[in-house]
Amino acid sequence: MSDPVERLRAMLMIRAFEDCLAARKDHGFQLLSSGEEAVSVGLAAALGSADQLLTGGRSIGPALARGVDPGQLMAELLGKVAGTNRGRAGRGHLSDPDRGFFGAHAVVAGNISVAAGVALARRMAGDPGIVVILFGDGASGAGPLYETLNMAALWQLPLLFVCNNNRLSVSTTREAGNATKNISDLGAAFGLWTRVVDGLDVGGVAAAASEAAGHVRLGNGPAFLECSSIRLRSHSTTARETRSRAELAALRELCPIEREIALLEGGGQLDPARTQALRDEATQKAEAALAFADASPYPDASEVLNHVE
Amino acid sequence: MSSEQTRMFFREAVSRAVREEMTDNPRVFVLGQDVGSFGGSYREFDGLYKLFGPERMRDTPVAEAAAMGIAAGAAASGFHPLVVITYMDFMMIGFDALINYAAKLRYKTAGRLTAPMVVKTTAGAQGQGVAHSQCIEAWLMSVPGLKVVAPSSPADAYGLMKTALRSDGPVVYIDHKRLFPTPGNVPVAEAPVPFGQAFIRREGRDVSLVTHSYMVRVALEAAQMVEAEGISCEVVDLCSLAPLDIATLSASVARTGRLLTLEEGQTTCGVGVEVAARIFERIGPKPWSRIGTLPAPVSSNPVLEAACVPNAGRVAEALRSLAGHPLTTSSFVTQEAS
Repeated sequence: MSDPVERLRAMLMIRAFEDCLAARKDHGFQLLSSGEEAVSVGLAAALGSADQLLTGGRSIGPALARGVDPGQLMAELLGKVAGTNRGRAGRGHLSDPDRGFFGAHAVVAGNISVAAGVALARRMAGDPGIVVILFGDGASGAGPLYETLNMAALWQLPLLFVCNNNRLSVSTTREAGNATKNISDLGAAFGLWTRVVDGLDVGGVAAAASEAAGHVRLGNGPAFLECSSIRLRSHSTTARETRSRAELAALRELCPIEREIALLEGGGQLDPARTQALRDEATQKAEAALAFADASPYPDASEVLNHVE
Repeated sequence: MSSEQTRMFFREAVSRAVREEMTDNPRVFVLGQDVGSFGGSYREFDGLYKLFGPERMRDTPVAEAAAMGIAAGAAASGFHPLVVITYMDFMMIGFDALINYAAKLRYKTAGRLTAPMVVKTTAGAQGQGVAHSQCIEAWLMSVPGLKVVAPSSPADAYGLMKTALRSDGPVVYIDHKRLFPTPGNVPVAEAPVPFGQAFIRREGRDVSLVTHSYMVRVALEAAQMVEAEGISCEVVDLCSLAPLDIATLSASVARTGRLLTLEEGQTTCGVGVEVAARIFERIGPKPWSRIGTLPAPVSSNPVLEAACVPNAGRVAEALRSLAGHPLTTSSFVTQEAS
């Protein structure tokens, strides 16, 4: 996905999809990623079909960016059988490895070591794909990250650590949550390739992710990319917003999508009419995903004991 | 099939099973602390490093959380890792990856991914203190998606490990510090032991003594002690804690009419209460009692450790008390704490 318009299309899709979901009364417990679209899309732009992405619980944007079908994703989020996992995983645990989305694990930092296991397996199998683990700044104080950084470095695993630093862990600021100057300094301590990038600049993220992925792909060991982003919604659809209206209004001025539109229109790659057409297209696709989900039933209660072991 | 037997130590039986499965299945590998050239803390992987090398006998730093997660991720990606957690107490550090991820992976993905991994860990008291002695298998029995086995003999150590390394989901395989140096007969031919099967180690008429792991040896000793007094004790070895073989257990208790459960873990929410409840659900209540480690941490102090952990004398006392109890009542038979 090196075409800037395609990247914008993907970001608009994430925003429209999440807005569409959030507007539903029955949306359930969701962690949305508005403000973080450039991280998901820029990262996905650096990955190929042989690569696998794992995430924490804030999975919707990354899953869409990776190519998970929007209809199946919406069905999964709403608990319908047409979902990627028959509606039983939800955003916290959804998995679609055929699309390169190995899965989410909603325990903060829990998927980091799992991703290292996937990376180890790929290397042992002689599989050329790399593995990416995407986590938030909230995971940066948790033990499994440190253990896994160490082991990934010792074993030179084909693993790319990507921290989506949206600067808030529910209500705890990034400064209160981690003592490092940059979270990616943790990677540097273990000798990893590291970089901090503006996570609101999709082109910048794509370029840095591409460089990081290339480093890992060439067998040079793991890398650590930190993307500084913003969260435009509260932690979850049930969590209280801790920021003032003024603060949120200021953050919205930084919206990575509007920034990219301004950039592309300024550079002549888009005009307002074309931009509007892209917005409309994203809304239509999101509504189609919702219609697909609505057409699918909930699982029958008799399925409750299926697939336990 | 040949019934020819060979004599070996428990630790050698573990090693043989792992060697055979690693030879047959290139996707099996071992990771954990000191599993490489050192050969395992109890020499239970002796010789395997030479055969399979550092890639498949993979030493890890002291990092149980990541080791468990790496095993789970590799399992979900088509490998069959055996992750070694030196002592069962340290499994707590890796519970997220095991319980929140691996045990639920098949369920939450609706069967798209599974985590066929074996967690081998060593339980039991032998002078190492409050955080190196615990038997927490009862915690694990209540986790949907997890299988739990605990051999008491070299033959079962061998056979259960073979089955564990062929299972299609996560298995916790619990051995015991005091069992590694014990010898026993093991079939010369390949002999996997199926999960979900309990074994009667000693037949008896008056009481069914249900136990597992090292406590099977304590149970057999106690049964021998009370035999001269005219109490005939049947000893049943669970081998598989999840799933439980309720058919064999129920049949035994239906025959003897009385149940004594024995475990080295705590009795509160323990293996014994689960065994009793499941048996009585099937055949109705019977006189029963339970023995476990006293409700205190297990100290490295030799006097306190011995006072805490069940021994044959305590078990024999419970057998006497229970055998003297009339079969017409179904009440729980109270034990004096010794």
